[in-house]
Amino acid sequence: MPKLTKVKDLRKLRAELHNKVVQRYEVGTMFVVAMGTCGIKAGARETLNALSREIAQRGVNAHVTTGGCIDQCAYEPLVTVYQAGKPPVVYGNITHDKVAELVEKHVLQQKVIQEWIIPFVEPKEKITKPPRATVILCSGTGCQASGSNPIYEAMSTEIKQHGLENEIQIVTGGCRGFCSMGPVMDIYPGGIFYVQVRPSDARKIVEDTLINGEIIEKLCYKDAITEETVPIFPDIPFYAAQQRVVLRNCGRINPNRIEEYIAVGGYDALAHALLTMKPMEIIAEVKASGLRGRGGAGFPTGRKWEAAHDNKGDTKYVVVNGDEGDPGAFMDRTTMEADPHSVLEGLIIGAYAMGAHEGFIYVRDEYPLARKNLQIAIDQALEYGLLGKNILGSGFDFEVQIIRGAGAFVCGEETALMASIEGGIGEPRPRPPYPAESGLWGKPTNINNVKTWATIPHIITNGSEWFRQMGTEGSPGTMIFSLVGKVNNTGLVEVPMGISLHEMVYNIGGGIPNGKQFKAVQTGGPSGGCLPADLLDLPVDFDRLTDAGSMMGSGGMVVMDEDTCMVDVARYFLDFLKDESCGKCVPCREGIKRMLEILNKIVSGLGTMADIEQLETVAWLTQQGSLCQLGKTAANPVLSTLRYFRDEYIAHVEEKRCPGGVCRELITYSIDPVLCNGCSLCARSCPSNAISGERKKAYAINTVTCIRCGVCYDICNFNAVVVR
Amino acid sequence: MIKFTIDGQTIEADKGETILEVARREGFSIPSLCYHPAVEPYGACRMCTVELERNGRTQLQTSCNVSVSDGLIVRTNTPDVFRLRQSLMGLFLSRCPNVPMLQKLASEYGVTEPPFPTENPDEKCILCGLCVRVCQNVVGAKALNFSNRGINRLVGPPFLETAKECIGCGACTIVCPTGAIEIALEKEAIYIEKPIGPTSAIYVPSLQAVPRVPVIDTDACIRFRQADITNGKITDACGFCQKICEAEAIDFSQKDEIIEFDVGTIVIATGFKMWDPTQLPDYGYGKSPNIITGLEFERLTGAAGPTAGEILTAEGKTPEKVAIVHCVGSRDERAHSYCSRFCCMYSLKQAHQIKEKTGAEVYSIYMDMRSFGKDYEEFYRRNREEGIQFIQGHPSQVTVDPETGKLYVSVEDILLGMVVELDVDMVVLATAIEPPENADEIASTFGIGRTPDGWFAEAHPKLRPVETATAGVYLAGCAQGPRDVPDTVAHAGAAASEVVRLFNQGEVTISPTVAEVNPVKCVGCGECILSCPYTAIWRNNDEKAEVNPALCQGCGTCAATCPSGAITALHFTNDEIVAQIDGLLRQVV
Repeated sequence: MPKLTKVKDLRKLRAELHNKVVQRYEVGTMFVVAMGTCGIKAGARETLNALSREIAQRGVNAHVTTGGCIDQCAYEPLVTVYQAGKPPVVYGNITHDKVAELVEKHVLQQKVIQEWIIPFVEPKEKITKPPRATVILCSGTGCQASGSNPIYEAMSTEIKQHGLENEIQIVTGGCRGFCSMGPVMDIYPGGIFYVQVRPSDARKIVEDTLINGEIIEKLCYKDAITEETVPIFPDIPFYAAQQRVVLRNCGRINPNRIEEYIAVGGYDALAHALLTMKPMEIIAEVKASGLRGRGGAGFPTGRKWEAAHDNKGDTKYVVVNGDEGDPGAFMDRTTMEADPHSVLEGLIIGAYAMGAHEGFIYVRDEYPLARKNLQIAIDQALEYGLLGKNILGSGFDFEVQIIRGAGAFVCGEETALMASIEGGIGEPRPRPPYPAESGLWGKPTNINNVKTWATIPHIITNGSEWFRQMGTEGSPGTMIFSLVGKVNNTGLVEVPMGISLHEMVYNIGGGIPNGKQFKAVQTGGPSGGCLPADLLDLPVDFDRLTDAGSMMGSGGMVVMDEDTCMVDVARYFLDFLKDESCGKCVPCREGIKRMLEILNKIVSGLGTMADIEQLETVAWLTQQGSLCQLGKTAANPVLSTLRYFRDEYIAHVEEKRCPGGVCRELITYSIDPVLCNGCSLCARSCPSNAISGERKKAYAINTVTCIRCGVCYDICNFNAVVVR
Repeated sequence: MIKFTIDGQTIEADKGETILEVARREGFSIPSLCYHPAVEPYGACRMCTVELERNGRTQLQTSCNVSVSDGLIVRTNTPDVFRLRQSLMGLFLSRCPNVPMLQKLASEYGVTEPPFPTENPDEKCILCGLCVRVCQNVVGAKALNFSNRGINRLVGPPFLETAKECIGCGACTIVCPTGAIEIALEKEAIYIEKPIGPTSAIYVPSLQAVPRVPVIDTDACIRFRQADITNGKITDACGFCQKICEAEAIDFSQKDEIIEFDVGTIVIATGFKMWDPTQLPDYGYGKSPNIITGLEFERLTGAAGPTAGEILTAEGKTPEKVAIVHCVGSRDERAHSYCSRFCCMYSLKQAHQIKEKTGAEVYSIYMDMRSFGKDYEEFYRRNREEGIQFIQGHPSQVTVDPETGKLYVSVEDILLGMVVELDVDMVVLATAIEPPENADEIASTFGIGRTPDGWFAEAHPKLRPVETATAGVYLAGCAQGPRDVPDTVAHAGAAASEVVRLFNQGEVTISPTVAEVNPVKCVGCGECILSCPYTAIWRNNDEKAEVNPALCQGCGTCAATCPSGAITALHFTNDEIVAQIDGLLRQVV
């Protein structure tokens, strides 16, 4: 692999790769005008201009690009025409006056103009022969878990058996974020989107879709509300409402091939930044964009960079925080797995801006695929000279290594993360001093979240103005949420900041399953707060969420329905945090323990009003007194539920009743004699033989022997089991 | 210089100082549990939280890690600060309800009872991490660290096993605010290092030392050891003692030095050294850690010793049978033919102590019991009455069972007339004493003689027991020969009186019989200088011998040695002697 030492090389490579990679997404025709020196001399530029004009005027679904010399100089200007499913055709002597005829006959009448074809039909550049169709199979962790690897095998076998291996290309792509529907598959041209594919579907897909061009309705996404089948993925509401910036390439390119990233414009921002911008200009641009750290705290990235830049020192470090520990959040993982080069590119730009020559990517150990893809990306970037010494001939040196985290939630906190990289116990230390002043090994260090780094190339390419157009004044840009819980569509969602919770839950999320009532949405991971239904119109951005007693966090969003007990939710999150608190400072270590004790008391019906008061005091202490953000936010689940769902606490304490029907000590199961048809299913499933009755007559539950496991409730087909 | 306010008072401080440092210096009371000036701020206990106002923004912040800045407004006791500390003390007290120091601090914030259920009423550790930080960052021993996470967090040595890294310096116990750490003596390791010496690099040489000032063992001190590594330059390693010494008395630059005095008299009290029992392998010394000398036994049984006075074998067990062997190296032609005099009595004392402390069977193996002093015989009788077994004889050998480590002492009991073999857990050897190694050097420096067994020779065994051949030089104690404490005290008193007598006199009467050099005959060969036992002759500026009449004892050696006949002893010239002989012969004839 020749090293790219000049920007020109990078641009040229991109133009070449564009033909090969981007074309698979194009449905129409592509004209490639050979623009070697001889071609230009023979009038290729005029041909190019004429072609562009012609296409625009006629509104043809086609586009024009330039290629290198194909060594058929006698026939210049040369135009190669690609159309999906057809062999490419090379026309010679296409001067600008022949362009109109070319478009008319070849594209509109679908006729090959035999007399213009040059004797040498096979184009020299092998890469320009596109396959007839491309299948992109998602191989993110989510889809791998739901079985995409066997599908790859099955598809490959089927394609071979039908003798289509030269015509159909099968590519493994990164995560599409629509994990609840996995494994998912795209087929180009056409952009057909299949969900929940099984290996047994492979034959049908090959025979029906790839050979006969028919869409298999059974495999298409079906909207939960309208019950309509949506065969093309941009039309699916889950995607339609999104605005993908960071996730733009996810699932569209093969993450293990740098060529695909370059083809879609990758590393262009790096070239631009390294060769045309001074470090302070980059920082000014990032500051102007208003980008705020995507890891959760929302600190302005530009100001952080400026501080690191201003702290003088021979050695500085930049760090990618990929220690994504929130349960249910996986946007960092997806970004690292599906578009690792975007993270690298942002990191290199940042390193250049701050004057760092060494970088670390801290990835939690539970993300082996992310680590693997990142390592491949680093190796490829090194091969191309986009990392290492003298990047793109700019004189800037930069090296990166991946650090495996050991799975401590608290290591997502920057000072704990640095301690972990240094080989110490992953524990936060008090700030000041801030990392920008004294970070890794006492040197100025800048740590940003994966998504923050991945946003940087877009800001450099498109400018801060473009970025500011998205989102809100205080929180520009887009944010990735992982939408989970009681919604129909779960998965990764990238939306502009400021979108309302309502839109998130009902439009993108497709509403609450089984027609249940919405109760709360918990944002920001385990230490986020729970927001009630009357805040559904709240625009989601850093400041508004904090004001409402929750936080943006890394973008977790858990939707809860009427069957949720808010006290139990607070208890659940504290139980998680209890194990994840590092134990260094007292308010977090002891405070969480004591809050959990009180909550356990309340959910088992032993709580008093004094307990609620004490709970509030400890929660206040934990919030005000803790050392790091983990502790400071640990009380959020308690404080926000106390704020918005205090009646539920009171119900537990005073009435000894759990309104959500969750807390085992406070509920009773009974059978509605009207709805029960005496099928006996519940009686047969009851593990403690607490249900008795006669067939075809209403059954009854013995509340003394009932262990409140809820099996009857889940199993009853007639909703006859009632929880109180 | 930075100006800011604490509780409305304008304060000046240097850049880089923390709020807590400055506030405490200025007399403001801010509590803290995890702060110590010897280590970096840690921010774990949160008790030093104060309210800070900066640019109109108010926040609660720990004062230990925030540096002062211009215009900063610090409030040390607002309602929020009080409430925060009060809640914290509730948590502390619930964790450790019975630590007096926490009870006191909690009551200052109105917390008198633990507000939450207590799990372990004996818990003392509040996980402030001071011990860990001192051990890791100051001492550098890295013998302590945290284990586990969150509520399961605890402090301990690596893998919670006995830490080989621990050097027993005790720094952790000093910084621990709640007294949760104690130095536990690891019984099994008592004898690993011999001789049983100090356990830390800084120690008081002996409990009776005057002045009772600790010294630093530079071979063991981390700071000095580090200094070796970096070519003599003392680095900033450890220095914990200096950091915590409130009197600021620790000075690492101090060195050993030689001080010269002009004196009129000298008392030599250089004492003795213990004879090394490995020279006679029959006693098995060195083959088992349970064969020890009497002096080592003293360290073991002493309250300041490694077991705090408990008599234990190397395995950490209380011995059931102990043999005490007298005359090890004394009265033995293979070592010293003399009697070391005080071993009998200290062996009786040790036998008594073993019996009293452990109840073990004690065998005292002696050749002759020399309990000669006042009340000594009575003590011997008491020993016998206590049931100590006295065996007259001398052990032929002490053997060690290689598997069990058991000791066997073979001895011919001459009263029974048969050989007995004793199996014991511990053998104490009453080793001989001998003159110190550098006795030669001392003897030649002061011009004093030595007896054939090496002790310094007194001027006359009966009449001048403290004087030496050199005028003005006296002997005291075992330098002159083995003696016990009362005898040593008496001997030293006598030497002191001699000194005082000289001082009172103000002048020295010398014998008229001194040597005189005839400078005309003297060729400056120097033979006389070498032969003079009193270092009374030196070579003057004319390269001739000259006699110091104050030192000269008139022995005449120089006169006999002088090859050119230049030296005569006054009043003992050849003529005078011949005349005396003639006179005597005349009477006879």
